[in-house]
Amino acid sequence: MTGHPELDELELLAAGQGTDEIQKHALECAECAREVAWLKAEKTLFARRARPDVSALWSGIEARIAAKPLAPVLSLARRPRWQRPVAAVAGFAAAAAVALFFFHPKTIAPRPQPSIAQLQPTPAPAVQGQPKPRSHLDPKTLAALDTAEADYRHAAGILEAEYETLRPKLDPALAKRWDETLTRARTQLGESRAVAADDARARMRVLDGYAEYLRSLRDVIQDSEEATP
Amino acid sequence: MIFHRQAPGVRRFLGDLLRDDAAADEGTQETFVRAHQRLGTLEQPGALTGWLLGIARMVFFEQLRQKRRDGAQKASHDEDDDRPIQIDRAPDPEAMLLTGESNQMLDTALQTLSEDRRTCLLMKLDHDLPYGDIATAMGWPLQKVKNEIHRARLQLREQLLPYLEGRT
Repeated sequence: MTGHPELDELELLAAGQGTDEIQKHALECAECAREVAWLKAEKTLFARRARPDVSALWSGIEARIAAKPLAPVLSLARRPRWQRPVAAVAGFAAAAAVALFFFHPKTIAPRPQPSIAQLQPTPAPAVQGQPKPRSHLDPKTLAALDTAEADYRHAAGILEAEYETLRPKLDPALAKRWDETLTRARTQLGESRAVAADDARARMRVLDGYAEYLRSLRDVIQDSEEATP
Repeated sequence: MIFHRQAPGVRRFLGDLLRDDAAADEGTQETFVRAHQRLGTLEQPGALTGWLLGIARMVFFEQLRQKRRDGAQKASHDEDDDRPIQIDRAPDPEAMLLTGESNQMLDTALQTLSEDRRTCLLMKLDHDLPYGDIATAMGWPLQKVKNEIHRARLQLREQLLPYLEGRT
């Protein structure tokens, strides 16, 4: 061998994968032997480093993933004034879409829902003579639906809190309209969830409803941000 | 699952860069959220670690800018970047094994490196990335990556030598 081997070759040697030729050279060349000793020392030092415990981080990631599509909206630059009515209309339309999305069971009286984050799955009311369709999905799928729903609730809770901070600065009439729209959406969402019980297809529709609700909240917040000085 | 396999490495990477446990936790979460959003841009599944560390590096820079805006942290300096370093001694393996402070010693030595240099050295030594993946993650030409890692190694060895005193 003429000259010194490349660093990559010495790295392989330090990792125990060097060729015989490189190994022979390293035995005869003090400079390369020193380099290999350092490469091995580096590997040893870094291999000893502690593995951080990250188990507590996952729940935060899940929540952020659920809320993330909404996050950029919260920090959007203010739009021109002429766009505000458009945003308001779009926001109300999106909120109304929640109502259209769900079938509205007339057998259940509407009841106020204080916060979407407080919504919990409740057993379906018994309807005589009409057996509820049962899911053909396995418990894991239903558990996944539970998780997704919990994520949506968490994201909604974050956005509702955001809206609460902006609300006092809003025009009272506008705030009242938003409150009514969101309350109506929450009520219908809660009712649909109660009826869905553990029917997988109905649960999927509930998740779609949550997505619509989040979009509505996003629009409300966006408009609120623009409406506040 | 990607998170369980990759998160400890990402967390340690950010911990090494940020030197702040809470910020590193926050950065790890942000890295995985962004990775989730951009998963479609990962061209080679085999390059996942480098891709994740590249995202983590961006998160690090954002946090760093924020910290600097807040005046909480001084910038690292590259003062001695091109100062020639000659290491003519090898580490003593026995001394290295005997010391119980190797992690702390290594952490201290890493902090003497500039941010970019530390980043690429960690990608190489701590996360075992190939030079090509590091070049992609850093957005640098391959030769620059090799040069920077070489200089970083020399700086690191200079710092470590007093602890790992050995003779060839």
